[in-house]
Amino acid sequence: MSESQGPLSGIRVVEFAGEIGYCGKLFANLGAEVIQIEPIEGNPIRRAAPFYKDIPDKEGSLQFIYQNTNKKGIVLDIENEQGREIFLNLVKTADLLLESFPPGYLNKLNLGYDQLSEINPRLVYTSVTGYGQNGPYRDYPWSDITALAMGGLLYLAAEGVDLPVRAPDNQAYMMGALHAAAGSMTALLEAEQSGRGQYLDISLQECVACALENAIQFYDLEGIVRRAIGSQEAGFGFYPCQDGYVYLVAGMGNNVNLWNALADWLIKHKVEGADILARDEWKTPQYRKTAEAKQRFYDIFVPFTMKHNKTYLFENGQEQRVTIAPVNNAKDICEDSHVKYRKFIVDYFSESLGGQVFMPGAPFRLSQTPWKLGTEPPEFGQHTAEILQEIGYDTKQIQEFKQGGVCIVAKASS
Amino acid sequence: MSQKLPLSGIRVLDFTWVGAGPITTALLAEYGAEVIKIESGTRLDTLRLLPPYKDGKVGSERSGYFSNRNPNKKGISLNMKNPRAFEIIKELIKKSDIVCDNFTAHAMEKWGLGYGDVRKIKPDIIYACMPLMGTDGPHVKYRGFGVQVNSIIGILHLTGFPEKEPFGMGTNYPDHVANPMQTAFAILAALRHKRKTGEGQYIELCQIEAPLCILPTSVMDYMMNGRVENRQGNQHFDFAPHGIYPVLGNNLLGNNHWIVLSVQSEDEWQSLKAAMGMPEWAEQAKFTANAERMANQAELNGLIAGWTVNYDGDELLRRLVKAKVRAGLVKDARDVLNDPQLNYRKHFVYLDHSEMGYNVYNNSPVHMSKTPAVLDQAAPLLGEHTKQVMQDLLNMDETTFEELKKQGVFD
Repeated sequence: MSESQGPLSGIRVVEFAGEIGYCGKLFANLGAEVIQIEPIEGNPIRRAAPFYKDIPDKEGSLQFIYQNTNKKGIVLDIENEQGREIFLNLVKTADLLLESFPPGYLNKLNLGYDQLSEINPRLVYTSVTGYGQNGPYRDYPWSDITALAMGGLLYLAAEGVDLPVRAPDNQAYMMGALHAAAGSMTALLEAEQSGRGQYLDISLQECVACALENAIQFYDLEGIVRRAIGSQEAGFGFYPCQDGYVYLVAGMGNNVNLWNALADWLIKHKVEGADILARDEWKTPQYRKTAEAKQRFYDIFVPFTMKHNKTYLFENGQEQRVTIAPVNNAKDICEDSHVKYRKFIVDYFSESLGGQVFMPGAPFRLSQTPWKLGTEPPEFGQHTAEILQEIGYDTKQIQEFKQGGVCIVAKASS
Repeated sequence: MSQKLPLSGIRVLDFTWVGAGPITTALLAEYGAEVIKIESGTRLDTLRLLPPYKDGKVGSERSGYFSNRNPNKKGISLNMKNPRAFEIIKELIKKSDIVCDNFTAHAMEKWGLGYGDVRKIKPDIIYACMPLMGTDGPHVKYRGFGVQVNSIIGILHLTGFPEKEPFGMGTNYPDHVANPMQTAFAILAALRHKRKTGEGQYIELCQIEAPLCILPTSVMDYMMNGRVENRQGNQHFDFAPHGIYPVLGNNLLGNNHWIVLSVQSEDEWQSLKAAMGMPEWAEQAKFTANAERMANQAELNGLIAGWTVNYDGDELLRRLVKAKVRAGLVKDARDVLNDPQLNYRKHFVYLDHSEMGYNVYNNSPVHMSKTPAVLDQAAPLLGEHTKQVMQDLLNMDETTFEELKKQGVFD
């Protein structure tokens, strides 16, 4: 593996955070050296569907693949005394530890912040848990959906009395990962100047509570408990088209420009009844909010949209300054001309999977120190021997650890 | 302040407005960066004119939507059409480490404030922009609102019930999470690079790309397996039962009371069964192992709902978590504000604003042992710190300030 020159080169991250792997990926793709530790039974996300070519395999989980590019991987039983010693020796070399065990677990193994900062004062030690290290919910078991629920975001994902719905890809874990990344990076900048690290306690519930848009303020300032806003006006919301839906934002409060652009566009296309939309009453939210307006607009607009596909409506409408967007599925995204032009989706050939792997690429472009996809995610135990050797164990010891079930060493590297 | 904050000494010239941009700079401000927010009275930050308002009274200094994204910042107002205002911006750039904007692509260039221009004034600047579509590509000029980012990235399509229309998460989610957090991370990485090498750089975050980085699976499933995923309600890919169930008091009159459950192993299934009092139905062959429970989950969910609906939510939650079942209540904003755990963590901070009085702000969810986030200044009034910034940073004397004010430079 080539030496990285990214903006985070020289930072070593030890990650023992299972499903909360996107934090480490952000570091890895900017050049930090990230060593993921897995328990003997493996990172649980290795067992998460969907799999590469739909073949369940510990190297094939798409979520595992995505979250772990450019990381090294070792497999270690830290509950074993020798495994615990290996962990301590590894942490001595680290700048950042990311972990997501239930509160108290690592303390019980004498691997809490107090112990680790004693052997490595510059260490930044970041814990991501459901509710944080203390407080009345500390010992509540958690999952993605419990964090979304208890943090208040799930409630917003429906209107009226409807049952809410969860978004895909463990968004609470993603929020935890993102706050852990920005927080840990801030603490690392501080530690590089002061020479001393610190402890970061991150609660998934609290991360979720930061993403409620204006719901907290609505209650605090106006006493209103809000849910999803939904389609309140004619010209705002989902409309069906030939191959799915488009999302139109033309009716929005007192903004007349949005509405005028829409009316001009439909008149230009000689849409039957479109001339009515240019009349003054349509330019006020008061009228557009009426049931009559919504129905009249639908009856004029949808016969037009049903004649076209979402890409046409998107591109043709936007060229005429209409704020319209396609309701994309994955196929639409991957075939989108803009996404293709910018080469956002990246790929590599995987020897271990025997085929091409594709995934979303850089979340940002940095002109001097670009994001790099880097190496394939580690096979189970791929770097165990390499890392153990680096921190001072010889081949014979590693063989004994392996036989004693302290660690797992992948066949290729043993 | 006893402990120096991690970003103290870093100055951010903040041209951002509305959603993702101001959240980015607020993240920097709570760890000590000095953020100078540039506004214009003739083109207000849109959020100043959106509800909720203090006591429901409309006013550009009364919006909680605006205030929660702009604490700890200094606000200056400049009329960008006045050439003297442009000179002032150039002087401020010389004294800044970071410039940040979230306008449409190339808007800053039109003002003579693109990266190329700014770098001439301050060679080591870190310049972060967040245009909707990035700065190149066939759709670069397209416009859209947060809800349309949701639409383009697929979260509307993927979030909802399969038999119903697409729905989404009910908020402009990418504005609050994927875009600000990843911009902040990139800025922090660029700061490290600058400390090591003295070199600044240009950062671009495209608002339809960064959110896909936390929504990767359906894209990968399509590219590698050819599957076009559809929304699937509250089903989990891997486990059952998993979902949202009514509790006592839930009804169609506006009383929304639900509990969520997620069973992810055989042990957890045994725990749930025990907590339910080992009902006979749960022993049927069709629910024995996860694969069977997945296959029969509609029926399973109905049976669980028939049990949960008899119990008060708080009582049920206590019972389930004690039995080591992953469970949680679906909390609304009022519940969240009164949540014992969040209050134990002092998550909500009330800051005194000169027009709104005390109102609520979210503190950082990252609790640092040595340098905790500091949230101590309410959002600025329009131009609240103009005079202070002119005096402190540009050494402007009183006479000049008043003269420029008369000329309308600070509108």
